[in-house]
Amino acid sequence: MRHESQTRRTFLSNAGLIALVSGAGANVGRPRAAWAAPKVGEAAPPFTAPTSTGPSVSLGDYRGKIVILEWTNHDCPYVRKHYETSNMQTLQKEATGQGVIWLSVISSAPGTQGYVSPSEANELTSTRQAAPTAVVLDPKGTIGKMYGATNTPHMYIVDKGGVLVYAGAIDDKPTTRRSDVQGAQNYVRAALQAVSAGQAVKTPVTRAYGCTVKYA
Amino acid sequence: MMAVPLRRRALSRARRALMTEMAALILLVGGLASPTDARPAEPKVRVELVSESRSVQPGGAIWVGLRQRIKPGWHTYWINPGDSGEPPTIDWTLPAGFEAGSIEWPHPERIPVGPVMSFGYSDEVVLLTRITAPAELAAGSRVTMQGQASWLVCEKICIPEEARVTLTLPVVAEKPLPDPRGAGLIARARGAVPTPSPWAASFSTTPDSVALSIAARGLVPDRIASVWFYPAQWGVIEHAAPQEIRVADDGITMRLARGPLPEATAGPIEGVLVVTERLDGRTASHAFTVRATPPGAAAAAATASGPALSLFEAMALALVGGIVLNLMPCVLPVLSVKALALVEHAGTDGSMLRRHGLAYTAGVVTCFGAVAGSLLALRAGGEQIGWGFQLQSPLFVTLLAYLLFVLALSLSGVVLISGRLAATGHALASRPGYAGSFFTGALATVAATPCTAPFMGVAVGFAVTQPWTTALLIFEALGLGLALPYLLLTLVPAWRRLLPRPGPWMERLKQLLAFPLYASVAWLVWVVSQQAGPRGVAVMLAGLVLIGFAAWLHEASRGVSARWRRAATAAVALTVLGAVGLGAVAGTASPSAPAKERAPGGLTSESFSPRRLAELRARGVPVFVNFTAAWCITCLVNERVALRSPEVAAAFARKGVVYLKADWTKKDGQIAAVLASFGRNGVPLYVLYPPNAAGSPASGEPSVLPQILSEGTIIEAIEKL
Repeated sequence: MRHESQTRRTFLSNAGLIALVSGAGANVGRPRAAWAAPKVGEAAPPFTAPTSTGPSVSLGDYRGKIVILEWTNHDCPYVRKHYETSNMQTLQKEATGQGVIWLSVISSAPGTQGYVSPSEANELTSTRQAAPTAVVLDPKGTIGKMYGATNTPHMYIVDKGGVLVYAGAIDDKPTTRRSDVQGAQNYVRAALQAVSAGQAVKTPVTRAYGCTVKYA
Repeated sequence: MMAVPLRRRALSRARRALMTEMAALILLVGGLASPTDARPAEPKVRVELVSESRSVQPGGAIWVGLRQRIKPGWHTYWINPGDSGEPPTIDWTLPAGFEAGSIEWPHPERIPVGPVMSFGYSDEVVLLTRITAPAELAAGSRVTMQGQASWLVCEKICIPEEARVTLTLPVVAEKPLPDPRGAGLIARARGAVPTPSPWAASFSTTPDSVALSIAARGLVPDRIASVWFYPAQWGVIEHAAPQEIRVADDGITMRLARGPLPEATAGPIEGVLVVTERLDGRTASHAFTVRATPPGAAAAAATASGPALSLFEAMALALVGGIVLNLMPCVLPVLSVKALALVEHAGTDGSMLRRHGLAYTAGVVTCFGAVAGSLLALRAGGEQIGWGFQLQSPLFVTLLAYLLFVLALSLSGVVLISGRLAATGHALASRPGYAGSFFTGALATVAATPCTAPFMGVAVGFAVTQPWTTALLIFEALGLGLALPYLLLTLVPAWRRLLPRPGPWMERLKQLLAFPLYASVAWLVWVVSQQAGPRGVAVMLAGLVLIGFAAWLHEASRGVSARWRRAATAAVALTVLGAVGLGAVAGTASPSAPAKERAPGGLTSESFSPRRLAELRARGVPVFVNFTAAWCITCLVNERVALRSPEVAAAFARKGVVYLKADWTKKDGQIAAVLASFGRNGVPLYVLYPPNAAGSPASGEPSVLPQILSEGTIIEAIEKL
C-alpha cells in the first residue's frame, strides 16, 4: 500500500514538472544582441558617433593606436570622486601624452542625470580641466549597450589591433570617498602600461563600480 | 537612537559649493550628502541602531541592527550590489574589549534598472551585527557603542549618505532582557538572513552558461513559486539575465548566463538561493547560502559514472562485471551445480552440451532483459531506482531468501535435487532437458540481483542515464558476461578437458557451497530488518522454518505408501503456501518507526498517531504536533531554525510538552483527516494542544501556530500554557 502511494506521488509530481523562467522584470526576453558585452580578448565593437565639438569619430579610425573609453556622468558621486581629486584628469593627460586616444562617452538619456548638450559637455571639459581626445555623445545608449557599460565610471581599453584588452573599474576602491583615491590600485594605469609595453594585461576584467548608466 | 537629519536650509550659491566640498565634515554630525542637487535635502534613508537586548552582560554578546528606512522608490545595496552600487559599511568605535562581527545580510531583492540589475533592499532593512562584551565589565556602568554607517542610496540617481549611530546600554550582571522594540525588528531580520543550504550543490559550465544543480530531492514542483540565485561575487553570472529554472524530483536545476569573469568559475560558486514556496493560501520565501562545487569535484564524487564513458566502454565494463558476477556468493553455488553436471558429462555428446550452453545463455539474457526492462520502465515513470531495485520490496526479498534457502538445503543434502519441488526454479533448473538449462540461467539472474560485482556499478550507473536502447544493450552485455564462462565451457571442448575428474569431492564441494547461500539468506534477513522492522523479520524467519519443515516432509515421505505420499505432498504445498503468505505479511510490516527521534537541538519527538494524541490528551499532557513532509521546504527551514534550538527544548521540558511529529511525506489518510479538521490540505501545520483537565478530553482548545515559525513564537506559545 505504502509503496503504491509513493509511486503515485512520484509519478504525479513528475507529471507536474515545471520549468520556471524567473524573469527580471522588464528584462525578460530582452534581446541579448543589444546587450552583448564584448569579451575581453575579442575585437572591440566598432562604432561611429558624434562628439561634443561636432565631427564624428569612428573606432576604426584609431587602428594602430591604443584607445581608452571612459563612460561618464558628471553628477554621479563616483565620477565626481575621480574628477574632484583630479585623478581622472591626471590619467587622461598621462595617456594622451603617450599618444593614446581617450574618449569620454556619455550615455545618459535626455532628461536623466549626466545628460549634457554639446556645449555643456565642452564647458565641463574646460572647467574640470579634463583632457580627453574627444567627448562622445551617446544619448540613445547605443554604444553603451553595445559595450555592456553598466556604471559610471566604466573603463575599457582597446589595443592597437582593435582588440578589447581591459574592461571594468578604474581602481580597486569601490567607494565615493575621495581619500580612497590615494593608495588605490589603478587598474587602468596598470593595464595601459602593460599594453604599451606589448605585454598581456594582468587583470583584464574587474567589477566596474559606480552609478548605473542612465539609459532611457 | 535616531540619526539627526540635517535641517533643510536655504543656502547661498557660495555656501552650496562649500557644502559640497565639506560634505564629509558636516556629515559627521549625522545627515546626508546630496551631491546631485547641491541643496541639502531630506535623507533618503533614515537610520538607527536597534538592540535585541535591554542591557549588556559581562562576557556576553548582543545583536544590534542598523535599521534603514528607505524612501519609497529608492534602494540600498546587498553585499554583492549587482551591476552597480555599493554595499553599506559600518565602522565601529567600541569601548575597550568590545568586538563587532561582520554584517549579517538579510537576503536581497532584485532591482532592475534598465538593462542593469542591482541587488538590494527597498522600504526597510535591518543589517545585523553581533557585538561581544569583555568579561571584565563592571555591572552598573553604561557602555556606548558608536558606528559610522555609510551607504549608497539610489533611485534613478545615486546618493552616498552617512550617519553616526550610537547605542548606550547599561551593564547588568544577569542575562539581558529583550528590548521590546529591537528584539522584534532583529528577529524579523534574522528570518531573512540565509541559512546554510540543506542540499548539496554543484555546477558545470559551457562558454555561455553556468548550470547550477541543487540536490533538493523530492520537491513538489507545483509548490515552488519562484527561485532566484544571487551570486556572492560579481562576474560569475550575468546578473540581469533571466534564470531558467527546472524543478523536478531530483532537485532544482538552474541555467544561468555566464558572467564576464572567466576565473570566477574556477573554484566553488557561492551565493544565496531564494526559494518561494506556495503554502495553503500564501507563499513563504526562504533564503539559503549555497556553495556549489566546481565540475571537477562533482565528477570525482560521482565516480567514473559520468557520460565520459562511451557505449563500447560501458558494454566492455558490463561484460567484465557479468563475468565477475559468477564468483559472487549468491551466484556461485547455483552455477556450481550446473558446472558439476558438466564435469560428470564432460565426455558426452558435444552438440548436446552446446545446446545446453545456449539454452542457459538464453535464460540469462531473457531474464536480464526482463529485469532491465522493468527497471527502465519504472525509471521512466519517475522512480528513483537503480540496479537491485526489486530488493526495495520486502516481499521480493523474503521470497528470494526462501528460494536461496531451498537451494542451500538441497546442496546440504536435506532435500534431493531431483525432487519435485515444482514451485522452485531450482527444480526446473535440474531438469535434464534444455528447459532446465534455460531456467538455470533465469535462476542465476534472479540470484545475482542482490550482488553487485566490481565494474558493474559504473556500467549500470551509466546505463540508467542513457536512452533505453543503449541502456538495454549495456544490461544485456552484463547478462552475456554472466553466461559467458559456462557458455564457453560448453562450446569449447578443449576447455572441458581442463575440468577435474569426477569423484566424491564433488559431493563435498556441493555441501560446502551451501554456506555462501546460507550467508546470502542471513544477509537478506538483515535487509528485511531494515525495511520491515522486527515484525517483518519474525514473520520471515517463521516462513524459513516452514520452508525447512516442508523440505524435511518432502524427503521423509519418500518410500511411504502412495496415499501417505499424496498427503505429504499436499502438506508440503500448503506449508510452502503458508511461508509465501507470511512473506506477503512481512512485506506490509513497516520498520518500527524509531519511536523517539532526537533532533540535534535536544528536542525529542515521537511519531504521531491520532490514538497517541488522544491518549496523551486524556492524561492531561500538553502536546505539540508538527505536521511535516520531506518535500516541504518551509517545514525543513522551521525545523532547523526554530525547533532545534536548546531554548525551545528547555521550554518543552519546563512545561512537559510532548512533541509529536506527523510525517505526511507519503500522504497518510489519518494525517490528512487531521489536517482537514484544521481547514488545511497541506503542510506545514503546527498545533499546540494545551493540557486538558484529566477526564475532560476537550477542555483545552488547540492553538494553531504560524506557518513560519521562529524560536520566539514557539517559546511564547508554550509559556502561555
